[in-house]
Amino acid sequence: MTQFVNTVFNCVSLSSIILLTSLGLAITFGLMKVINMAHGEFLMIGAYMTYVVQNFFEKFFPESIFSLYYFFSLIAAFAVTFFFGAVLERFVISRLYGREVDSLLATWGISIILQQAARSVFGMQGVNVKAPSFLDGGISIGSCTFSYNRIFILCMVILCMVLVWYIMYQSNFGKQMRAVMQNRAMAQCMGINSRKVDMITFSFGSGLAGLAGCSVALLGSIDSTIGQSYIVNSFIAVVLGGVGKLLGTVLGSSIIGSASIGIENYTSASIAKAAVLLIVIVVLQFRPQGLFTVKSRKLDE
Amino acid sequence: MKLKNRGYHICFAVIVIILALTPLLLSAGVISSSSFVLFLGKCIAFSIVAIGLDLIWGYTGILSLGHGLYFALGGYAMAMFLKLKATDGNITSFMQTGGMTELPLIWRPFLSAPFAMILVIAVPAVLAGVIGFFIFRNRIKGVYFSIISQALTWAAYSLFTGLQSYTGGNVGITEITSLLGSIKGDSNRGKMFIMFYSSLAILVLIYVLSGFLTQRKFGKLLIAIRDGENRTYFSGYCVSRYKNFIYVLSAVFAAIAGAVFVNFNGSITPAQMTISYSITMLIWVAVGGRGTLVGAVLGAFLINICDYNFSSGTMVEIWQYILGAIFVLTILFFKGGLVGIVRDQLPEWTKKLIRGEVE
Repeated sequence: MTQFVNTVFNCVSLSSIILLTSLGLAITFGLMKVINMAHGEFLMIGAYMTYVVQNFFEKFFPESIFSLYYFFSLIAAFAVTFFFGAVLERFVISRLYGREVDSLLATWGISIILQQAARSVFGMQGVNVKAPSFLDGGISIGSCTFSYNRIFILCMVILCMVLVWYIMYQSNFGKQMRAVMQNRAMAQCMGINSRKVDMITFSFGSGLAGLAGCSVALLGSIDSTIGQSYIVNSFIAVVLGGVGKLLGTVLGSSIIGSASIGIENYTSASIAKAAVLLIVIVVLQFRPQGLFTVKSRKLDE
Repeated sequence: MKLKNRGYHICFAVIVIILALTPLLLSAGVISSSSFVLFLGKCIAFSIVAIGLDLIWGYTGILSLGHGLYFALGGYAMAMFLKLKATDGNITSFMQTGGMTELPLIWRPFLSAPFAMILVIAVPAVLAGVIGFFIFRNRIKGVYFSIISQALTWAAYSLFTGLQSYTGGNVGITEITSLLGSIKGDSNRGKMFIMFYSSLAILVLIYVLSGFLTQRKFGKLLIAIRDGENRTYFSGYCVSRYKNFIYVLSAVFAAIAGAVFVNFNGSITPAQMTISYSITMLIWVAVGGRGTLVGAVLGAFLINICDYNFSSGTMVEIWQYILGAIFVLTILFFKGGLVGIVRDQLPEWTKKLIRGEVE
């Protein structure tokens, strides 16, 4: 029983991490059809921002309020990656709309630059973030222990999901955003500034990557390759779920997360990773558009 | 059209002649270090894989982010044979640490030279054939194909690092010599030259074969698939079959390149199998000029020679910035790469310049 509960918790926890890192992609890739290979590097920027804010607090503020640094780092991470996203959209992505494959390659160039920048600024060695004191330990129910860290990330994911859902489906901006993505010309005729919508949408997706980076900073050491280790799973989760569907991304991440943990019980982590990816590739053969598809009779989708 | 093609071939011939001269220059003492010639040997391998990538990306418009996989498979197959040659068919040290007492089954075929050479080509070809068959039949294309190829490479990478006792894990297969024995050092120069010239011959062969394919109706079809896949379908061609063929062909080229690479490098590691390495190969093609074979070769040599000179010493950091910037700028403004600049942009600029003077 204990083992079962632990396994389920691990599944939920890993799924939530994957979901958090793919939420931003679900927007930039799912809605805008832009493959941002630098998305992982935005995650890295978010993680490093946590480290920077932490150091700042350590130096200038009394120890009693040190734990509060985390909330500021969330804001900082979101703001900085939002800004980076806006710059990237303005100068690179906006020139490549309709050339998806080229945008993939151009953003890879950006990611080379960002990784090297991280190495130049923070050094080759990984850095560690001190988790705020209220996240130390965990709750024990019976003989199962749930660490606060993981529960916190779970809450983060739910919060982000609600935020994304609200912005996309409830707010006025979301309406404009969906209009532009569905039928750009018509949306422009209705007086929507599509350039502005593009930019804010992309920046918002990047900002979510920053928030994700802030969360994964709690899980281990941060170095310049941290983004690369998450990005493949995230892309696959979005594709598996079905591009353009928020619910699909949730399902895709849960499947990948649960399958990883499930297989890991029987074999080593790296083989489990390979097995999961191969299973997903096989599944995609049967449902090339992903599990949730937007029905369309268009020839080229 | 004819004239342009002749230009490309002349350009390629010049590259080959320069390459063929380097061992002579080394003998004459103009080039001081023999390691540079070894490095050029690796570049020959890189340009072979670049030609393969150019065939599927530049001509057919399929962006594979996973050609490192086929490169490494060819490399591993060659390295396994060479390793067994070095240990006289006994088990290797990483197998011993993995707790094995006799040679595992998958290593057995590599005991015989002809069988190993067949496997260098057969393993990647079969893998690419099966994957391509399903992917192209289900009409997975564009970025979806790229993401799947990326995931596949990542999966293979995890597998190769995970199965430590079979593949040497993160370290890979090291301490091997070339097919002709050791080619390092001054005493083995003769062997190195033979190795170098035979690799060069492979490159020329592959270039000629690719040139032959692309100048025929087949090549036109590939371009048709790139520019309008549905129209090609509607014209009555089975696009998926063509795509699958060219995918397998480029995988085989990559595998051959991997096998050549191992001979010059003396080791193969899973690092050659990573996504970032696969995209590095795309950078060569993009910078040289996609859609022209000579562009791929040119790009592979130029980027790698820069890499060779800058990746040590003070330039390391700046080189990464420059590499990223070159790549972004090429994609954004120079779609045709270097070849495109010479072919399209330069004449335009000069025309403008002349017209400006006239006015």
